[in-house]
Amino acid sequence: MPHQCTTCGRTFPDGSKEMLSGCPDCGGNKFQFKPAGATEDPSADEADQASGSPAGPSGSAVDPSDRTPPAPADEPAPDESAADRRPSESADETPNEAAASADSASEADGTEQIADRSDEDTAQASARSEVVSPDELDRASRDVEPADAPPAEEEPQPGIDALRDELNDQFESIRIVSPGQYELNLMELYDRQEYIISLQEDGRYVIEMPDAWGIQDE
Amino acid sequence: MGLLTNLRDSISRVTDGLFAADEPKRIGIYGPPNAGKTTLANRIARDWTGDAVGPESHIPHETRRARRKENVEIERNGRTVTIDIVDTPGVTTKVDYKEFLDHDMEKDDAVRRSREATEGVAEAMHWLREDVDGVIYVLDSTTDPFTQVNTMLIGIIESQDLPALILANKTDLPGSDVQQIANAFPQHETIPLSALEGDNMDEVYTKIAEYFG
Ligand SMILES: Nc1nc2c(ncn2[C@@H]2O[C@H](COP(=O)(O)OP(=O)(O)OP(=O)(O)O)[C@@H](O)[C@H]2O)c(=O)[nH]1
Ligand SMILES: [Mg+2]
Repeated sequence: MPHQCTTCGRTFPDGSKEMLSGCPDCGGNKFQFKPAGATEDPSADEADQASGSPAGPSGSAVDPSDRTPPAPADEPAPDESAADRRPSESADETPNEAAASADSASEADGTEQIADRSDEDTAQASARSEVVSPDELDRASRDVEPADAPPAEEEPQPGIDALRDELNDQFESIRIVSPGQYELNLMELYDRQEYIISLQEDGRYVIEMPDAWGIQDE
Repeated sequence: MGLLTNLRDSISRVTDGLFAADEPKRIGIYGPPNAGKTTLANRIARDWTGDAVGPESHIPHETRRARRKENVEIERNGRTVTIDIVDTPGVTTKVDYKEFLDHDMEKDDAVRRSREATEGVAEAMHWLREDVDGVIYVLDSTTDPFTQVNTMLIGIIESQDLPALILANKTDLPGSDVQQIANAFPQHETIPLSALEGDNMDEVYTKIAEYFG
């Protein structure tokens, strides 16, 4: 389910026509990308932290002030709090407890990704769950084993690369070569109904549906 | 809010476009980065409204959001033509923050500019799909017009049957080659100008009135 409404959290399959005129559930018109294979597993949280280092410096460069609100606000702070949290929490939690705590844990991560006007929690939850560990990607492709083992924390780099690859497969209109380097498929951009309002280095983006956006006058 | 209002708005906008012939046409100013789109938009807006549209810069991707100036009334041969002009971000297939580092920019700023530029291209392409009634395509006549971006954009414009004017800008520069642009797009009229100096703007306005009036 590659897209998710940032207001109510409803997800849509890639290419879904349903979301083109706004979320049928809540009328929201901001959606964010959610790669297939992303799970609610708390390990996603750790992949997020891992991705924090490559994505962080550029991510913090986002300046939402001159963008159409709500734009993502990246702040370095959540990275630190996430790092603090990790040793104590993920170490002694069983997978189930960890899943239950994922929502609170996601708040720090979520603020890092999306500064939305309302329902931050759902947006945050999705922001967190977008990131997959290399392990999960692997499992998803073999689709047999249950996702109960903790992810391979010692290999953060493949995670972001795998994520980038996956994003690039699904979303061919913009290829993120590396932070600050993009390749654009103009035909694909032209063909897409929705309008991308914000890119993030770790493969997330926020899109807005046609009627919702305005442009600056003068 | 929401779905129905949005739908209704978009439907009424479409029907407005179809039936209200006297609504100002919305003309998108398109082209690669640094071609002089904003310089042209500012000149048109200043000439006829007194205002400017946005900042110009020698650093590419200065324009990263589409900007619109409404109800620009252009007088030609005793007739007034009213258009809305939309200055769009320069379109490209590659954005690399490194190119901004040469312009004395910090890496953080360069990366952010490159991200915004990419979003700007997405926005420009979106406008082309949905929201313009005609296109002024601006090219820097000192550079090679045979590029993938130009071919693709002109192709899209043609497939949409949008009226299009091609402007060969920067004729004040020594390396300017207007003929090369005319050769690259023989199916369209090419008008030479210097948006910076204001050279040949009379012909530009005459053609705007003719094509988009
Ligand atoms: N010599 C000369 N320079 C020009 C002319 N038109 C624009 N320029 C210069 O070219 C540079 C780019 O002009 P802009 O108007 O910012 O170009 P743009 O197409 O809007 O660029 P983006 O917004 O980056 O896509 C500026 O330094 C302008 O002063 C012209 O007719 N002659
Ligand atoms: Mg410009």
